[in-house]
Formats: sequence, C-alpha cells, structure tokens
Amino acid sequence: MTAGAGAPNADSTDSHGLAPCVTRGVAAARRSDRPARRAAGAARDGRIGRRKRRAVDAPRSLRRTPSRLPVPRTYRSAEFRAGFLEMLPACVGLVPFGLVCGVAAQVAGADALAAIGLATIIFSGAAQILALQLFAAGAPLAIVVLTCFVLGLRLLMYSAAMAPHLASLPPRWQRGLAFVLTDQAFAAAIRRFGATRDPREGARYFAGCGAALWITWQATNLGGYFAGNLIPAAWSLDFAVPLCFIALVAPLMRSVPNVTAALVAGLAVVGFGGLPMKLNLVVAGVLGIAAGTLAELAQERWKAR
Amino acid sequence: MEGALKLWAIILIVGALNYASRLSFIVFFSRRSMPPLLARALRFVPAAMLTALIVPMVLVPSGDVPGAAGPRVLAALVAAAAAFRTRSTLATLSVGMLALWAAGALAR
Repeated sequence: MTAGAGAPNADSTDSHGLAPCVTRGVAAARRSDRPARRAAGAARDGRIGRRKRRAVDAPRSLRRTPSRLPVPRTYRSAEFRAGFLEMLPACVGLVPFGLVCGVAAQVAGADALAAIGLATIIFSGAAQILALQLFAAGAPLAIVVLTCFVLGLRLLMYSAAMAPHLASLPPRWQRGLAFVLTDQAFAAAIRRFGATRDPREGARYFAGCGAALWITWQATNLGGYFAGNLIPAAWSLDFAVPLCFIALVAPLMRSVPNVTAALVAGLAVVGFGGLPMKLNLVVAGVLGIAAGTLAELAQERWKAR
Repeated sequence: MEGALKLWAIILIVGALNYASRLSFIVFFSRRSMPPLLARALRFVPAAMLTALIVPMVLVPSGDVPGAAGPRVLAALVAAAAAFRTRSTLATLSVGMLALWAAGALAR
C-alpha cells in the first residue's frame, strides 16, 4: 500500500470519527480523539487508523440514542447492570412499603397527580407517610415541613459519607446521584465505592441501584394508590424492609468499631424514643458514629502500645 | 381546593429540602478536602444509621402476632446470622421471612 492511498483514508477516518462525537458528548470525543491523532501520524498506513477506529466505535444501537452523560455508555456498563440487579431483592422488600405509601396518599385524600408528586419529588417513604399523616390531621404547613426536614437529617450524613467518593465526578453526576441517595441506595453503593478504586465504577453501580429503586417506588406507590393494599397484613411483608437493612449491616459486624457503633446506635434509638419528630434517629446515628470513631482510635492506641 | 394547594406546597417544599439535604455535603466537599477525623467518623455511618433504622422496625409489633414483638426479634436475629455468613440480600430476606412465619405460627 502506498502513502498516497493512505492519506485520504486517514482523512475519512477523521471525519467519520468526529461526526458522531458531536452527539455523543465530551468523553466520547476525548476517546475518539486518540485514534484520529494516531491515524494522522501514521498516515503511511491507512489500515491502522481504520482498525483502531472500529475498535473504539460505539455499537450501532448506541449511536442512535445520543447520550449527553459524561461517563460514556452508562446504561450498558456492567456496573450499572450489577447495581440494578443487586438492588432487585431490596426492591422486593420495598414493595409493601411502597404500597403502604400509596394507600396513605389515597386515605389522606390526595388526588392521583399529588400521589405521583409525592413519590417522584419527595422519593422517601418515611417522609411521605409522615407528611401525609400530618396533612390529614390538619397540621400547619410549617410543622409538616419542619418535621419532615428533621426526619431527613440522616440524609445529611449520607451526603457527607458519599462526598469523598463523588468529589472527582462531574457536577452533573453529583446532582443526579444525589437525587437517588436513599437509605437503600446509600448502603449498597457505599459498599461498592469501598471495594473499587475507580469512582466512576462506583457511580455507575450507584446509578443502577437508584434506577431500580426509583422504578419500583413509582410502580408500587401507584399500585397502592389505585388498588389499595393488595398484600394481606398477616404475611407481614413489611418486615422485608428491616431485613434488607440487616443484610447490609450484619456483614459489617466483623470489626470492633463497627459493632460498637451499631450497639450504641441501637440502644440510643430506643433510649431516646421519647424525643419528638423522630429526632431519636439522628441522635442515635450521631452517637453511634462517635462511639465507632472512639472505639477505632482506642483500638489503634492499644495496638501501637 | 385549599387542601390540594397545601398538599402541593408540602410536596414541593419537603421535596426541595430533601434534595438539598442529599446534595449538601456532596457539593460542599467536592471543592475542598475533608478533615481526616470527619472522614474517619463517616465510615461508621452505615453501621450506626442503619442499625438506628432497623431496631424500631423490629421492636414494633404488628401483623403476625398482635401485641408481641417476640417473633420479629427472633427472626431478625436469625436473619442477621444468615447475613453475616452469606452477605447476600436474597438469602437474608428468605431466611428472615421464613423465620418470622415459623415463629409466628408457633407463638399463635
């Protein structure tokens, strides 16, 4: 093959490589930038540029759906799928909870649109039920808002615990993942972030968890609103919610500081049960975290001796 | 109409506050580094916070045997043992639910 035949080939590689980049976003552009440059440098042999281009090109089906997400091929990534699939057992546990939330909206006299608004905008079972109970009882707006905010204080802790893992991600990802930062998604994703070095992997896993939870939540809330409580109370399927949390917490009990944190939090949540607005949750969380930290510091000092 | 308006106000304000709580520290610490002691403490959020959520749900009696939390506590302990061994959500769910139904049937 001659140099003359290689040059136009490299040119066509360049134009072909850049055309879909406009729709596929920054990261994709950065990716296809590399073979294009290499092709220009190695213009003597057009086949190298060609083969490289084919290797990095997205599958045909993906080209039709332009994605503006900075992490490419999110929804096709193995991590996203793993997050989605591994969240499904927890989603089964959420079904009765979602149904109860739907029923609560119906009982409180909300119309269908408001029921959808509760599930999509608030997206937190405990806050939805609390808000609806207070609304039905005729509590003033300020009281409802304040009570739900206090109940959501634990989200601040989740946010802070997630922060170091998400710090290197683009703002768009931070905003998106914050939306699905729920008890279940937090517990599952923080474990994955701890096990992987690449924060993007954890972020895709997190997104998969969030997607599974969000879909389940909308479906079960609507089901509860329109079809009432489908599951007999005698089955006690609501017990599945604490079971899902147990599945995430029990394996942590291999370290003394974690055991200390859990013990103190468990005792405190009962001991401070009399506090209004479910403040005992936050108090117990803070005390447990402090106890775990102290236990770890003491353990280190003991070992250093 | 007034009720519907108030409910929408609740939805929007509570939703906004919830989202602000979720986003707060993620944004705050994306530009500056976290103090080491805080970073160390935050590693205990899962153990502390999830236990604080679990305990009231296990101690509240409902459904199975009215007025008795016993079966739930027993089932939770069995499920915790299963979770400790298997680290699997599915195994924990099945073992825990079976234990609850069995304990409920025995207590009746």
